Amino acid sequence: MTRISLSVNGRPTSADVAPRTHLADFLREQLLLTGTHLGCEHGICGACTVEIDGEIARSCITYAVACDGARVRTIEGFDDDPMMTRLRQAFTQEHALQCGYCTPGMLIAARDLLRRKGGLGRNEIRIEMSGNLCRCTGYTGIINAIGAVMAETGVRQHAPASKSGWRGPAPGPEAGTCDAAELKGPPHAYQDAPAQTRPLSAASTRRPIKVTVGRLETIEGRTSLTQSFVLPYQRDAVWRILSNPVEVAGCMPGMVLDGPPLDGRATGRMEVRLGPIVASFAGEGTYERFDEDHRQVIEGKGSDRRSGSRASGRVEYQLLSTTLDGAGATEVQTRISYVLTGPLAQFSRSGLVRDLVARIGEMFAEAVDARLSGKHGPSARTTHLSAFRLMLRIITARILARFRSFQKKISH
Amino acid sequence: MKAVAFDYARPRTVGGAIRLLSEKPDAKILAGGQTLGPMLNLRLAQPSLLVDITRIAELAEVEEAPDSVTLGATITHAAVEDGRVPDPARGLLQLVANGIAYRAVRTRGTIGGSLAHADPSADWLSCFTALEATVVIAGPFGRRYVPIMEFMRGALDTGLEHDELLVAIKVPKLSTRARYGYHKICRKTGEFAEAIGVAVDDPGLGIVRLVAGSTQGRPIVVDGIERLEAAADCIEAKLLAAGLGDDAYELSIHVAAVKRAIAGALAA
Repeated sequence: MTRISLSVNGRPTSADVAPRTHLADFLREQLLLTGTHLGCEHGICGACTVEIDGEIARSCITYAVACDGARVRTIEGFDDDPMMTRLRQAFTQEHALQCGYCTPGMLIAARDLLRRKGGLGRNEIRIEMSGNLCRCTGYTGIINAIGAVMAETGVRQHAPASKSGWRGPAPGPEAGTCDAAELKGPPHAYQDAPAQTRPLSAASTRRPIKVTVGRLETIEGRTSLTQSFVLPYQRDAVWRILSNPVEVAGCMPGMVLDGPPLDGRATGRMEVRLGPIVASFAGEGTYERFDEDHRQVIEGKGSDRRSGSRASGRVEYQLLSTTLDGAGATEVQTRISYVLTGPLAQFSRSGLVRDLVARIGEMFAEAVDARLSGKHGPSARTTHLSAFRLMLRIITARILARFRSFQKKISH
Repeated sequence: MKAVAFDYARPRTVGGAIRLLSEKPDAKILAGGQTLGPMLNLRLAQPSLLVDITRIAELAEVEEAPDSVTLGATITHAAVEDGRVPDPARGLLQLVANGIAYRAVRTRGTIGGSLAHADPSADWLSCFTALEATVVIAGPFGRRYVPIMEFMRGALDTGLEHDELLVAIKVPKLSTRARYGYHKICRKTGEFAEAIGVAVDDPGLGIVRLVAGSTQGRPIVVDGIERLEAAADCIEAKLLAAGLGDDAYELSIHVAAVKRAIAGALAA
């Protein structure tokens, strides 16, 4: 728990909050100010709109702990406000509410619009108010009500809500009496001039290998695609690496085997830590090699305990002799297919997946190339970084798809 | 829709933030939280520590030079929208800020947070790419300056190390002869853009920059354009060549966004 002090509707308040408690929950459950409503709880619907230091904000994605030292104003704090009184009358006259769920947020956003702008047309008011969703009225009454009040107030000059001149999110550095977090220790001596340079990772010293990715197909939830790359080594040399499951796993970004494979089976995990998201696919795999064709088939499945997602996939690759700049070389042709279920599954954007597979393919090809050239294989740090990038891409698809599907759902 | 538990720290200095980030590799920087907040609530992100950088005075500063303006990372979209910072692009930044999400998001969402998150659909990435801005990054080994095209590596993928902090963006000033257009296509106002087009024509600086944003990865810079007047005709071929041809709808919507941006610039 962290102690915070803030002003709510003009009254100084101190409370202990868990950092994860968002402002709306704090207002509703600790201060019993239930006029602030929670709709979507992830910043889409606008029902939880309040004012923080005079500017409107979504209280469901602002954490109470971050409001230490701020002035918060909820719908309960507008009872005596003349503009709000007039808006309430207009909402009543124009039938701008039915169930009332969106109304507190709608009123606070509308009042803020009237404070900042005047003389807007209906369409402009609609655009300005588009961050607040109403499922009853079809918005007509709401736009009428705001338009009516705006016609009375005329064109206004936008006055900044905050006189402090702070340009960042409220409340800024001037606010806050108790800054417990800072007490963890004084900031160490920080120098702007580079005291030393960051050590280069193994990955940054590798030479780039071009990977070609074919068209992506999804049939009954199974996505498949092809990719290929050429390594400037003889086929037998490349096969020595690519026929060995331990070597293959070692070149795969983020992959760790539990132990040496036995009887064509191996267990391991794809462990990744990426900025905001940590995921670890644990599972098992089988492999089957066909030496005469220089071909190998690897199948695996695993699950990420944290997100509850599951993945299964199949990778088949074959080595073909070719030439590169007149010298003997090897083309690695790969066919990949996979099924992903659970929260990570929203892999709807083909461009992202192609990009991802090309990226994984490049990192893999560069690692194999580094092994063949006698340079060091991937270090732990490299694996980590590669995994980081790789997972970010997976997450991208998931987050974007999720946000967008949610927004579509909510706006239809 | 409740975030999992995390620790919270609120450093007063850039150095303090970097120290915290160095100590906890899975710490996450919290600026305005307008993207991270939803991610935390949806439990997509489960960091052990949030480092709130909004109390670091230096990060909301503005530095104006004869040929550039450097904007601190925690400057909000609303501050740009309201004209509370100088606009090196003669109104383009203000125009872009005004169209980001909704006012209640713009009051807390920050320029630096948007760039560091690197969602291809985000407005600032495309806008600053067209302006050839430079990202200023602070880390344990000092500061480095990275051109925005090198900074973004792909969707949600940047060159930031876990112990680094994006502190500012340095934006070159356009000349008085500059004209620009910006257009984004969204299903719903304020939602993520499906396509973004940016056109900047500055005879004073001798540049014609066209950018197609909100792709699957980095914004596409349409190169080889000498005259804005003649640009619209070759956009489709250029975007096709840049790899946007996989999906006919995606191609056409990006062509439309860039063409409308060009039309906007020509009408200016």
